Amino acid sequence: MPSPVAPLAAAADEPGALEGAAGAAGAAFLDMARTVGAAALLFVQILRRLAAIPPVVDYPELRRNMHKMTVKSLPIVVVTALFTGAITVIQAAPVVKRFGAEGLLGWGAGFATLREVAPLLTALMISGRVGANNTAELGTMVVTEQIDALRALAIDPVGFLVLPRFLAIVATLLLMTLYADFLALLGAAFAGYGLLQIEPQSFMNGLTGGLLNFGDVAGGLLKSVAFGLIIALWSCHFGMSTTGGAPGVGRSVKAAVVASAAGVFIVDYLVSFVIG
Amino acid sequence: MKDAAVSPAPAGSTSPRFVYDLGVLGVDLFVSGRELALVFVRTLYFLVRGRRDRGAVVRQMHAIGVESLFFVSITMGFIGMIFVYQSGVQLRRVIPDFSQLGATYLELLVRDLAASIGALILATRVGAGIAAEIGSMVVTEQVDALRMCAADPIDFLIVPRFAASLVMCTALILVAGAVAFATGALTADLAFDVPLRTFCSAALIGWPHVVTGLTKCLAYGAAIPVVSGYCGLSTFGGSEGVGWATTRAVVNSSLAIIVLDAVISTGSLMIFGTG
Repeated sequence: MPSPVAPLAAAADEPGALEGAAGAAGAAFLDMARTVGAAALLFVQILRRLAAIPPVVDYPELRRNMHKMTVKSLPIVVVTALFTGAITVIQAAPVVKRFGAEGLLGWGAGFATLREVAPLLTALMISGRVGANNTAELGTMVVTEQIDALRALAIDPVGFLVLPRFLAIVATLLLMTLYADFLALLGAAFAGYGLLQIEPQSFMNGLTGGLLNFGDVAGGLLKSVAFGLIIALWSCHFGMSTTGGAPGVGRSVKAAVVASAAGVFIVDYLVSFVIG
Repeated sequence: MKDAAVSPAPAGSTSPRFVYDLGVLGVDLFVSGRELALVFVRTLYFLVRGRRDRGAVVRQMHAIGVESLFFVSITMGFIGMIFVYQSGVQLRRVIPDFSQLGATYLELLVRDLAASIGALILATRVGAGIAAEIGSMVVTEQVDALRMCAADPIDFLIVPRFAASLVMCTALILVAGAVAFATGALTADLAFDVPLRTFCSAALIGWPHVVTGLTKCLAYGAAIPVVSGYCGLSTFGGSEGVGWATTRAVVNSSLAIIVLDAVISTGSLMIFGTG
């Protein structure tokens, strides 16, 4: 019966403005659901290999990735942490001057840095440096059919490639956040001395004066683990689902960075509320 | 990276390897910095003297501005909630007086937070997009084809993105800042019982803050396309190269934003005394 189908097809060809908008929204939603679903499936696969006894991980690959990710991202983490520490103090300077609260600078910089700034900015930089690089590497392997070659050799690509990278990214972010905490406080102390003439000793007193406790540091580190999981999952997912040659790799990298950044901010909000 | 390309390793030299590495790093940084400055200068030159292609600028404004609007608004909305919640929790420990929370938050937002965090978010979206696009053109030899036609790639590819980014980054940051303030006000109302009327106070905002904030918007809007465009144009080697170029664009744009933030904030602290 072609007659009832034809008008419907014609209507589908030329949708009205409202239908077009609804269709676009629906398509976007379905697309998002498909992406999240695929990433969740990858996460389940990763967990299953991790839960097996012994875990299905390629240890040499894990060591190689740990070295590559941590050592090579040290310079940007150092620069970012020192500068953000200094920026925190510069931003706090007018308030400090207004209230004459020089003794509280250490506390203010400490809580901002340890709880939010250092984990968040380190996560953004690691997502750009390590996460994006990892997506590019996996994506290149996919488009040059190296993953298919692995499957043809009966080597599990998730255990051999994805899981080591996943673990390495989470570990890298945790270590780098610890390092950035320290460096950002150092940058803050320097900026306080250079711009506000606050002695490092009184900065240190504000920092250790009792208003900050181990919970603040632990909260920041807990956040960095959550960020690491998000970045690692998106990075591996978009890398493994790359299609379409060199431009496809570029698109995957972009999608991975954008999804990681959005995910990091949303998770930050949730974790902040939970650990209060 | 390309450390061997700069100078050959000193054969049989007694100097430690570390010094050699440091030297290579320094020369590499210097060369990249010079090339980056060159791209910036040529972008400015072509912006003034180059051809006028309104269509390309409008298309880029759409790609940079309209398509990032949702992403930037969502993330900045969450930032607003986190920021007010965290400062509220800390404030409760020290001085339980929330009357200045809104005014201080708005001042910080105008002076720094909206521009800097917004630009860091934009750098991932816009910077990665620019580098991936231009990098793909480089490895598929479309940029060489442009050169063959005596068309300067900077004039054709970077200038429209530069002009579009200057306008759209500022606009997006204004929107994102408004969203962050709105979510912050709601959080303060719900979590700490600060009335909206008390929270929405512009008592601490002055011209110096607005000037500082807008300067930052323009500086970041200029830095993102120039840095990412440079990373895209210096792509080499197949699909792997495109990935690396995109990675470098995100990292270098973010670093540029952080360094510019420190420089502009220090300058503003020296001039206006407000950071």
